Amino acid sequence: MRYLVLSVMMIMSLPSFSAAGYREDFAQEFLSKTWAGERIEENACIDCHSSEQMKPAFQDIVDEWKKSWHAQNTIYCQDCHGGDPKDPSVSMTHQRGFVGSPSARQVPEFCGKCHIGILKNYLESGHGKALRATGKGPHCTVCHGSHNVQRANIDIINEQRCAKCHSYERAKVMKQALFLVEKKAGEIEDGIKALRRAGVYPDEQERALFNTQAEFRTLFHTVDVSLVNERTDEFTRKLGAIEKDIQGTFIELRSRKNFSAFLMALFSGMGIVIFLITKTPDK
Amino acid sequence: MWERVKYWMETRIGLDDLVRSQVTDYRVPKNINIFYTLGFVAAAGYLIQVLSGILLLIYYVPHPDHAFKSVQFIMHKVPFGWLFRQMHVVGSNLMIAAIGLHMLTVFAMGNYKRPRELTWIGGALLLFVTIAFGFSGYLLPWTQLSYWATTVVTSIPTAVPVVGDFVAGILRGGDQVTGATLSRFFAFHVSILPPLFMLLVGIHLFLIKRIGISATPFGLHAEEKRPWTEYHKKSHADGYPYYPRFFQMDMLMVMVYLAVMFALITITPNLFFPEEATIPANPFKTPVTVRPEWYLLAPYQMLKIIPNKFLGIIIQLALFLVFLLWPFFDTEKEKNIMKRPLLRGLFLFSFVLWLILMFWGRS
Repeated sequence: MRYLVLSVMMIMSLPSFSAAGYREDFAQEFLSKTWAGERIEENACIDCHSSEQMKPAFQDIVDEWKKSWHAQNTIYCQDCHGGDPKDPSVSMTHQRGFVGSPSARQVPEFCGKCHIGILKNYLESGHGKALRATGKGPHCTVCHGSHNVQRANIDIINEQRCAKCHSYERAKVMKQALFLVEKKAGEIEDGIKALRRAGVYPDEQERALFNTQAEFRTLFHTVDVSLVNERTDEFTRKLGAIEKDIQGTFIELRSRKNFSAFLMALFSGMGIVIFLITKTPDK
Repeated sequence: MWERVKYWMETRIGLDDLVRSQVTDYRVPKNINIFYTLGFVAAAGYLIQVLSGILLLIYYVPHPDHAFKSVQFIMHKVPFGWLFRQMHVVGSNLMIAAIGLHMLTVFAMGNYKRPRELTWIGGALLLFVTIAFGFSGYLLPWTQLSYWATTVVTSIPTAVPVVGDFVAGILRGGDQVTGATLSRFFAFHVSILPPLFMLLVGIHLFLIKRIGISATPFGLHAEEKRPWTEYHKKSHADGYPYYPRFFQMDMLMVMVYLAVMFALITITPNLFFPEEATIPANPFKTPVTVRPEWYLLAPYQMLKIIPNKFLGIIIQLALFLVFLLWPFFDTEKEKNIMKRPLLRGLFLFSFVLWLILMFWGRS
């Protein structure tokens, strides 16, 4: 019997050796390719801008984008610039919706396609009005950068930047208001991360935080100091409610732990009782 | 009332005789040890999986748009839903460990030997069905972790020439892991594997009862050494009755199993729920590290280090066959592994190699 099995195994292994040669290329590709990365699609924008034929000034765009907050959130070239990344021959045609790089005056609408609330408040602000009137006001990329756009943070507001056009005093007051809210938001974010580490999917809390933060940042683009001060308490309260919710989840996790510890003790105790019974001499 | 029910049953199915022949008069060898309870523990583990699985089934929705949310609903909204899911997930891993340990001890005690070759094959098939349970159930929560682990494992058959892509296509229901894969894995998990498992358990138990429990190699029994020319049932007339003595040992180990399960849930509730298990599946975002479950890590790592994938798969199939048909390879009469240095060396080498590959695959 074992000889039969051995023979079958040897026969089965023969095609593997014969196939090893003719499928060499396949094996190499299979080996070098990440098994799980099959869905990464080819992107004409990235391919061309990364190639040697591209102007040196444009070559860094891909690397900058790869490090950006947009890339981390799967926002690709075509999401802002339009066009078709799948077909290099027509990728930059108007027919495929390509809009190219915007002028300074076009930037707010360009970014506002997605950041709708912020666009509205920005256009109503002094900054927006100046841009509209003169074409020279501060717009999105002046403060946030373009391809290397990072997650908005409080350090964007600084004396060096603001004092280019006006005094820093008003910006400083707003930065203080922002600081308190952002600090609280940061703490909540840490709480959400801790929940995730604890195996919880904090979708509701995350969404609530995102909405509150987005609303606050939208308001912030009005650059209206009195309005920002007036509504800071409201946002602090909203964040407080999210924080309470997170704490409630941690309390729930602790009670779960206690309950499973009780079950562990219960079954351990039952095990000990059964063990003692097995050691009792038979009558 | 109870007496009347008993009498009613007695007059119809001969309850007393059934209990006497199958439980109290059923004898087990005197030198039986605690490792003999592992089969019963695995069966108890399966019962826990069935009960917790049915409760999960009430709320689970096998659709890519709802699977993740329904699992989160079970975890956070359904009363004690978290407990049943934890029991199901931890239980699935413990069950594989229990069956693996059962096979390991059967191997070490030489209990696979003649006339129990079929019992070994049945047990090995049960181990593979249990792994198939784990693998198919892993995708169901539709998380980043499960999605990409399934993508990795279902890519393995593509290395086989000619039929590889077809096999992978059958597994996935297309070129990628999609809703079709989820439907297939769900159907496989809840309607194909359970009857298959029960059938194999039935065959396994029938063989154990029909052939009789094997005595350990450390005792006095050496009947198996004589030539095997006709059917002979080992009844252990001088042994202990199964009930209450061995049944108590079985129950003691089931309590240990449950205590370990709840210890894991208490001390390391996230052992099987890393961060990526709390993120919904995203086919366009590959996680930094993609790897299958712990029990598939060794074969996965082996495939990674063998340059030709097809050769790797053939080697694994050969190893699978050797494992499945081991009783036909090892025809030595001596059961005691301590008296067989070569087999002992092979056993230790295979075990250590498996551990190395598993931890290597994890790193």
